[in-house]
Amino acid sequence: MAEKLLHIEDLHVEVEGKEILKGLNLSLDKGEIHAIMGPNGSGKSTLAYVLTGRPGYEVTAGKVLYNGEDILDLEPNERAQRGIFLAFQYPTEVPGVSVVNFLRTAYNSIHPDEPKSAMAFRMYLQEKVDLLEIPTELVDRYVNQGFSGGEKKRNEILQMAVLRPELAILDETDSGLDIDALKHVSSGVNKLASPEVGILMITHYQRLLNYIRPSTVHVLMGGRVVRSGGFELAEKLEAEGYAGIAKEIGLSEEEVAEVEGQRV
Amino acid sequence: MADATGEPGWLADRRAHAFDLFEKLEDPDPKGEEWRYVDVRGFDFSRFQPPRVSPEAPKLDPALQAKGVIYVDFATAAREHPDLLREHFFTEVPVDEHRFTALHGAFHSDGLLIYVPRQVEVELPLEALRRVSSGGSVFPHTTIVVEEQASLTFVDRFASDESPQPALCASVVEVTAGRGATVNYISLQEWGRSVHHFQTQRFTGHRDATVRSLAVNLGSAFARTQVESVLSGEGSFSEMLGLYFADTNQHFAQRTLQSHNAPHATSDLLYKGALKERSRSEYSGLIKVLKGAQGTDAYQANRNLVLSEEALARSIPQLEIEANEVRCTHGATVSPVEDEHLFYLMSRGIDRVTAQKLVVFGFFRDVLDRIRVERVRDELSAAISAKVEGAQRLEVAV
Repeated sequence: MAEKLLHIEDLHVEVEGKEILKGLNLSLDKGEIHAIMGPNGSGKSTLAYVLTGRPGYEVTAGKVLYNGEDILDLEPNERAQRGIFLAFQYPTEVPGVSVVNFLRTAYNSIHPDEPKSAMAFRMYLQEKVDLLEIPTELVDRYVNQGFSGGEKKRNEILQMAVLRPELAILDETDSGLDIDALKHVSSGVNKLASPEVGILMITHYQRLLNYIRPSTVHVLMGGRVVRSGGFELAEKLEAEGYAGIAKEIGLSEEEVAEVEGQRV
Repeated sequence: MADATGEPGWLADRRAHAFDLFEKLEDPDPKGEEWRYVDVRGFDFSRFQPPRVSPEAPKLDPALQAKGVIYVDFATAAREHPDLLREHFFTEVPVDEHRFTALHGAFHSDGLLIYVPRQVEVELPLEALRRVSSGGSVFPHTTIVVEEQASLTFVDRFASDESPQPALCASVVEVTAGRGATVNYISLQEWGRSVHHFQTQRFTGHRDATVRSLAVNLGSAFARTQVESVLSGEGSFSEMLGLYFADTNQHFAQRTLQSHNAPHATSDLLYKGALKERSRSEYSGLIKVLKGAQGTDAYQANRNLVLSEEALARSIPQLEIEANEVRCTHGATVSPVEDEHLFYLMSRGIDRVTAQKLVVFGFFRDVLDRIRVERVRDELSAAISAKVEGAQRLEVAV
């Protein structure tokens, strides 16, 4: 049997001594789009960061296999070189470094067998800029510096287009966007979806799923995937809120109270 | 010293006078504004061998010589241009400013006089290379006089091989820009790690003059650089750039002065520094606007990028304003590069060292972009790269 693109088994993760993920299981293949939905504090972003190797996230048990390889001891750049990409919820500013230089350095690090000269990279980048309908001037600005919320998210999707990952994790790519920006960013993601890439889409809101249709929906709660299903699961969440599922799976009253009132 | 070089009596007298001052002056006070955090009390001068006179005479394009440009060492200047030397040598920087200027006045060893006559434009940069040997001392003096509407770019390099014995450099730079003149002075301090470097630079801009300075500190064990720009003429402009990158246990101290003595003058200062490992830096800058200097525009910014938890950067901006129609802005920042910043870059496949380079180059970009001598810009880029990579890990006991 062929290896899954991503296979997570019984993953436990601590941040500053506090357990956030408590036995998470998940599998994803190329060509699939999975949505991970969950209330605030359920561990959604922790999952994104632990997959990409952010410092400060300690795996205490379980495993993460990417194309069959255990990646947990790899540096963030080594994971990126293997094809893992994270679109950040809060992208970092890099003053004095233009998007084009940043992306060329990144591209040549990830695709060392097909390095591009400054000129060749410009043309390649322009194709992606055109595809995603992003203003060209953005690539000459310093990375994320002075960008609006929408520009930052578009820039993340542009990076995904340029770097061509096999596994793209979108961490709350919809948060903070108005409806026009959301449509624009979603349409970009849809253009990049293909049988060659698996997409893990983390979101708090059902709204995003109207624009990017997932093949599978997971509900993350209390550090575990508590429900998985098709699009109808998102619709159920929309109708009942997180509290409904929280009660069903037998969370304590305290935990239910915490997710109560959080909109989907 | 005087006997060895066959100097004229007046120059020898000045040396003797400076030596007296050196003996009498107290060490600078580390609690005072100018030497804050820099404690040189008990600095042992006796461990350095006396200076040796540099055998190399400066070279000048005959075409410039024909236009009246002078670029000579002090021995030649004392013989051939005594009046010029006497008028300008040690007039901008007072010899009794502190012990290190007095010491310099007593022992100055590699003096250079550069003179550009009225309306002459020196297109290509003139350059000097200052050296010191292991265990030795050097006292380079640079006197630059650029007359009305003339222009000059001068690159002063301070470089030595790595050597086991501590060495000393005490240097003075005096620059006068005449009416409407343009002077661009660059000092590149790239000493080996055993050198102690003390330098005072003073620039005087007369009416409508443009004075640009760049002070670079990369080498040495310890460097104190004092850069003072006196805007003495109405409508004069001074750009003051600083770039420093300290690593291992290096310690750099920078003091700047923007002295607005005349109306409608502009000064624009940007000092940027990066620090690695256990290095330290201090920046202390004063904007002084004298009464009557109406319409002053003065800017001062000091930015520090700290790449390790053990490194320490301090920044002390000061204002003294006696005029009432002025615009002054100053700002200081000390920003760490945290793993979380690097994580963003590394998550795009970029390795840690390259990620640090991107951050550091991004940080220095606005200073580098303002350097007008392309070769200097390229050299500094290479030096910054090497610093990030940690190519020089030599540590010397201070």
